[in-house]
Amino acid sequence: MKHTLKYISSFCLLFSMFLSHAQETPTTTVTKEIVPEKQKIENVAKPALQEVKKADSIKTDRYGLRVGVDLYKLTRGFYDKDYKGVEFVGDWRLTKKYYLAAELGFEDKTTDDDRLNSSATGTYIKGGFDYNLYQNWLDMENLITIGLRGGFSTFSQELNSYKIYNPNPYWGEMPPITEHQKYSGLTAGWIEVAMGVKAKVFNNVFVGFGVQLKMLVANSKPDGFDNLYIPGFNRTYDGSFGIGFNYTVSYFIPIYKKKTVIPAPAKTAPKK
Amino acid sequence: MRKIISVLLLFTFGLSSCEKDDICDPDTPTTPRLVIEFFDADSPSTSKEVTNLKVIGKDMTEGIIFNENATGETKYLANGSKISIPLKTDADFSTFTFTLDSGNENAAAINSDEVRFNYAHQNLYVSRACGFKTIFQLNPLSDGPPISSPFIKVDSDSKGFWMKQIYVKEYNIETENETHIEVYF
Repeated sequence: MKHTLKYISSFCLLFSMFLSHAQETPTTTVTKEIVPEKQKIENVAKPALQEVKKADSIKTDRYGLRVGVDLYKLTRGFYDKDYKGVEFVGDWRLTKKYYLAAELGFEDKTTDDDRLNSSATGTYIKGGFDYNLYQNWLDMENLITIGLRGGFSTFSQELNSYKIYNPNPYWGEMPPITEHQKYSGLTAGWIEVAMGVKAKVFNNVFVGFGVQLKMLVANSKPDGFDNLYIPGFNRTYDGSFGIGFNYTVSYFIPIYKKKTVIPAPAKTAPKK
Repeated sequence: MRKIISVLLLFTFGLSSCEKDDICDPDTPTTPRLVIEFFDADSPSTSKEVTNLKVIGKDMTEGIIFNENATGETKYLANGSKISIPLKTDADFSTFTFTLDSGNENAAAINSDEVRFNYAHQNLYVSRACGFKTIFQLNPLSDGPPISSPFIKVDSDSKGFWMKQIYVKEYNIETENETHIEVYF
């Protein structure tokens, strides 16, 4: 119960951060925004005819920083007593299609396998870029992205208990051995291909989900044990493969705008 | 694009559903048994087959099963020149009673020797699915202090020893692919 309260309060705190951002930003942007917005609305209202006369239409792209949090990791702590974690996500729009992206997180996970029970605790950082594949209409700002990340985690593992595998249990099945052996100072590095969708739900708030396919490139295994779970990388398999998932809510902080001229070739081409 | 995403989603869900079935492969070398090979005492280089050898661990009621498929008493009887017996993984010794000609109608032919194997054991990590295994190291033979021996032979039925000599061939018991103990009779 105490933990639940702690989570709820931290959750509220997190959202209060969003609120404060929401109040901060309009001072710079709203005034500017009104003018181009009206233009666009006119474009939508009388579409075809005007477009033919105007060969090109001007589109304003907003550039800025998007920050958010992974709700999947945050809420998992409520129903999974073996898991605590948080991940902050952020991206910065570099060009029309490219975004610099990064994730920063903390995870504490107890893995209970049939024969082993171990806990991994640590922080991780991932950095890379996203490429937006989605062709937005007018002032829409949705994203379907594919990107690449490099990830690095520093963590510790604790072997809580284990069982001896004995194919010939003549002397009876042995109870699990409680050990509480701690292995600290572990590191791991990986690369991942990230696919994601982000949709603007209202104002500057985006919701999105993403899947990541990961490949371990560096893994410092402890002596006499293995890294069964790496924060940020997730569960390890026999090979170097891994997968991840996130569900994010993020807030876009517009910083500057760029106008791009979209030529309207579709209208002129058929006339010839 | 949507197709790619849906395929990837399917792929990941497919993977996560496979997650649980990583069971320990029986071919993985895990906790080894003690491998004992029997030789002819009169001609030490030739192996000799035991007849109806029954091995019971101390304080155990049933013998070690040598014939998985046999029924009744015969599944506890070994006939051959090599046997494998499991050691205790949570103690530093295991004691067994080796009964030759077990079940023979002629009671005089039955002979039991008790052997206690002394060792150190160590638990090693194998894999996520298999957990840990235990490997053993038989105690060295030493007359001076501290006195130690890899095994102690006791004539449990006062009929004399049928095992004329026991020889430790391999002190480190790490795999079942080699013979650890040689018994001459």
